[in-house]
Amino acid sequence: MEGTARRRKKNKINLEFDYSMLFIVLFLLMFGLVMLYSTSSYEANLKFGSGAYYLKKQAMATVLGLGVMIFIMFIDYHILEKFMVIGYFVSLILILLVLTPLGYEAGGARRWLNLGLSLQPAEVAKLALIVFFASIVSKMGDRVRTLKGLLLVLALAAPHAICVLTITQNLSSAIIIFAIVLIMVFVATPNYKEYFAVGLILLGIVIGFVLLVKYDIVPEGFSYRFARIKAWLDPDAYASTKGFQTLQALYAIGSGDYFGKGLGESIQKLGFLPEAQNDMIFSIICEELGLFGAIAIILLFLILIWRLFIVIANADDMFGAMLATGVLAHISVQVILNIAVVTNTIPNTGISLPFISYGGSSVVFLLAEMGIALNVSRNRAVEE
Amino acid sequence: MAKNNPRPGKKVKKVTFKMQKKLAVLLTIILVAFAFLVFRLVVINRDHGENYKRQVLSQQSYDSVSLPAKRGEITDRNGSKIAVSQKVYNVVIDSKTLNQNNGERIEPTLNVLYSTPVEFLYTRDELRSYIAENPSSQYRVIAKKQSFDSVADIMNRINNPSEDELFKGVWLEDTYQRQYPYNTLACDVIGFVQGDNEGAYGLEEYYNDILVGVNGREYGYLNDDENLERTLKPAEDGRTLVTSLDMNIQSIVEKHIAAFNDEHRGEYRADDDGATNIGVIVMNPNSGEVLAMASAPVFDLNNPRDVSNLKVEVELDPALYGMVNSAGEGGDGKSPESQTPENQSGESSQTEAELPETEQQEADGAEGNFISFALGDNATDALPGKSYAEAYEEAYENAKMEALNSLWKNFCINSTYEPGSTMKPFTMATGLEEGILTGDESYVCNGVLTVGEHDIHCSNRLGHGDLTFSGALEQSCNVAFMKMGATIGKKTFMKYNQIFNFGLKTNVDLTGEALTNSLVFDVDTMTPTDLAISSFGQGFNVTMIQMISGFCSLINGGYYYQPHLVTRILDSAGATIETVEPRILKQTVSEETSAKIRDLCINVVKEGTGKSARPAGYMIGGKTGTAEKYPRGTENYVVSFMGFAPADDPQLVIYVVIDEPNVPAQASAKYASVLTKDILTEVLPYLNIFMTEEVSESEAAELAEKQLDFSEGASQEEVVTMPGLVDENGNPIEPDKSSDANNQNADVTDNNTGNNTGAITFVDEEEDKEEPEIQYDSETGYAIDPTTGILLDPQTGAPIDTTVSDIGF
Repeated sequence: MEGTARRRKKNKINLEFDYSMLFIVLFLLMFGLVMLYSTSSYEANLKFGSGAYYLKKQAMATVLGLGVMIFIMFIDYHILEKFMVIGYFVSLILILLVLTPLGYEAGGARRWLNLGLSLQPAEVAKLALIVFFASIVSKMGDRVRTLKGLLLVLALAAPHAICVLTITQNLSSAIIIFAIVLIMVFVATPNYKEYFAVGLILLGIVIGFVLLVKYDIVPEGFSYRFARIKAWLDPDAYASTKGFQTLQALYAIGSGDYFGKGLGESIQKLGFLPEAQNDMIFSIICEELGLFGAIAIILLFLILIWRLFIVIANADDMFGAMLATGVLAHISVQVILNIAVVTNTIPNTGISLPFISYGGSSVVFLLAEMGIALNVSRNRAVEE
Repeated sequence: MAKNNPRPGKKVKKVTFKMQKKLAVLLTIILVAFAFLVFRLVVINRDHGENYKRQVLSQQSYDSVSLPAKRGEITDRNGSKIAVSQKVYNVVIDSKTLNQNNGERIEPTLNVLYSTPVEFLYTRDELRSYIAENPSSQYRVIAKKQSFDSVADIMNRINNPSEDELFKGVWLEDTYQRQYPYNTLACDVIGFVQGDNEGAYGLEEYYNDILVGVNGREYGYLNDDENLERTLKPAEDGRTLVTSLDMNIQSIVEKHIAAFNDEHRGEYRADDDGATNIGVIVMNPNSGEVLAMASAPVFDLNNPRDVSNLKVEVELDPALYGMVNSAGEGGDGKSPESQTPENQSGESSQTEAELPETEQQEADGAEGNFISFALGDNATDALPGKSYAEAYEEAYENAKMEALNSLWKNFCINSTYEPGSTMKPFTMATGLEEGILTGDESYVCNGVLTVGEHDIHCSNRLGHGDLTFSGALEQSCNVAFMKMGATIGKKTFMKYNQIFNFGLKTNVDLTGEALTNSLVFDVDTMTPTDLAISSFGQGFNVTMIQMISGFCSLINGGYYYQPHLVTRILDSAGATIETVEPRILKQTVSEETSAKIRDLCINVVKEGTGKSARPAGYMIGGKTGTAEKYPRGTENYVVSFMGFAPADDPQLVIYVVIDEPNVPAQASAKYASVLTKDILTEVLPYLNIFMTEEVSESEAAELAEKQLDFSEGASQEEVVTMPGLVDENGNPIEPDKSSDANNQNADVTDNNTGNNTGAITFVDEEEDKEEPEIQYDSETGYAIDPTTGILLDPQTGAPIDTTVSDIGF
């Protein structure tokens, strides 16, 4: 009785998703497109003669991403496990391909591949590694707990992170990849002390490093990267160079007041804030919609993260839970780091705001991840 | 589905409680991070909100482009452009763009720039180092006000960026430059533009608000393509002024003023022009429109600050600065005037090193001709804490500015003087209009009249004898007019002075009209002597524009028109926005009185002192004036002629004033009347006014000769040099001169009580000298007035003496 009832119930529930999560994602996507159009139309008109240039490209990527998401939602997510090894190596090769003529440079950095559609391998790597480590962690079980296990996991993440860092000169993506893996392992293992110890050590290293930079005790050769840190510490002193973008973002945030200048009324987007539609879009949101709009968006992300938490807690199995954990880690790390950069809480490094910033690869792979998360939510056990 | 396909038990694990706890910890960390970020946002807004708002706006204005409005044009009545604004270009560089791509664009761009004819403010090396030193600068003007031709190549490259990828970071900024195609012509009337499109003097200043337009603004990116303007407020171009000036008449007038100056330059006062000041106004009496207005010291409107023709003199006592001998011994021979012997034997010469500089300045200043400006006040007081060189520099700058300011002033509206006998028609009109005089009176002049306690002499000390009413004006008899003044009485006399606008502004549409309200008599304190001398135009001050405006009303039927220059205002497309209709302010006298005054004035030219003003073939009316300047007895005079033509139907009124002609004996109105004749001889035919009188053979020969001159007129104009700017004598504008009338009163009394020889003599006309000429004329009838023909001959180059030549004929 109990079994059949449960099964019946399950069969029904199997067709249900976490609709509130889906709604939030769709809302963020739509909001993102509106903000993207508002932010980019001036520059798009200037550069390409069409105000909707960026909007069109992003809308196309969004449609593609939604297709991918829907497709992934309805397959059995366990199938993904079969592609984990292939995904792992393919994503690594894609990063290496940036070195070939297939790779191309944009905005002063060589991070993209031209495969008919343009693709950012780092985004592929994030998805591939989430799937890969979800499988690894769920398979390793308690062995992840051991130092050996932990080191093994981190070692497996290293090739991608190192390639992203060295080949594409993309420190932020490397950090995100490591952070995702760390959070997945952290959730999967019951111990705390080690993580807090590692956390403290890392924090100490970072603080020490920053102090070294601040007081000019670092060798000259590294000055390129350190200039950013100096600009972070005192953006006004580097107002015309490294601190320019940060300062302009702060001007945008500060001039927004409580309710902003109104949608479309940003002044900073008119050529003052570079790359406003990419990493700095949040500052334009602050300028146009004010603190109110900014906090509303933060709350939406928080609700999205909360829904992911529910999905994880109710996941059918460890693999599903770890997949959703990876997605949660990815989104929350990127949101936090993005807003931290925009508010000059951390040094300026290129991190986009999920669902809202301009970037085709980013939105397609994020939606693929959301497809996975929704898929997991579909298969969750409603009753504990 | 997954459940139907269970994997080996160990692998499929549900989320454990411990994991949930960990998730909760993770969620908490994320929450804290989010909360911290929200806190950051709030803090940024709270602590820097105002500052950043200002920053955003200030960047905004920095990067937005001002679109200059085109200043409106000024044209004469025929549409000839007197002042135009030419579009010119500033070349601007953007270091930031140039420095991109490792600066590979810098050299190619500089190559292009320096191959164009543009005159850059910097040398190539200076610009190169500027670009290197200011990598973030996006706006630097490197060449100003370049013509289209100069920048055509640059413009072409900017508009076709694909042709030369390495030419970047340069753009052009539109601006306008004021140009005056006629250069010096009508300079005092037009005025010029200084600084940021701000009119100075004349029409440019008076109508600045209408001319200036409204600058537009383009907000946002400094784009090259000019095809995208998010917020574009287009410039509203200024409006065009159509004036009543006729540049042909103006140039005729100025040509003759210049000729007069050339003729008499240095004749009596060695370092001076033909006269201290010369002013001429030509007006249409039937509308108050000014056809020409000119005065003698001219300047180039395209270069108003040029002091090369000005002699700026600074009198500064070096002794006050511990400066001594060296200047005098330096050998330039200039400084010793200001040095006393004891200075020369002075203690030290410690500041010798500074001297060459000051000497140089003095030498520079001395290059010009005939204008001296002494800065007397500074000479006595040492400026504290300044070296001689600094003090000299300062005094020199002050002197220069004052010299320029007097040069820029419009003599015709700005200078006040005693009108002299040109006042007499006004006195007559007063008496006739009030019925106090009938025109049938007769007067006896024995050369002097005692008014109150003063003996006031006529110009002809021997007396004019018996005179009719008309004869009194023809001979310009002071005694007769003093008698008329006494008959009219001071109340009526002053009432009519008010009606004729003396002491009030005419409100002509030019900047700088002098206010004479403190320079006329007050009826309550007016003495009989004041009334007596007022009746023939002494003792009170007027401006030229007042006199001619009043005179227009006297001869046009009594209608006092407001004098004006602007007749129409057009928008930038040329459509008329406003038409300025002639404005009748009041009726001064009746038609009948006006007709009588016309006849009387015609008689002056026919029979009296104004004969030499009549151009061949025409009959005109008018009145001469010779006013002795204050202080009396210095033999300085203002001579003038005020007339209308043609006699039967006045189409124009002309007023010529010569302040201190540079001749041994200034008291001859002939200088003014001959100048009038010269001008009218050319202006009347130009206005298609037909000759009504016979032209004698000698006149015909003279006209033929002049015809030659006309063709060479242009070269004459260029020879114009500037006469003196001495203000003190003729210009009682300064506060201490405001009580001029009273001072003079006191002066008169003193003289009289002193002794009899001090009795006042107002030399009015030069009848005694001119007697032969008058005789000659009356014998030969109207057709001939050959005496003046010789005066006009500039080709002989011989010194022309009016008196001599008159007698010769």
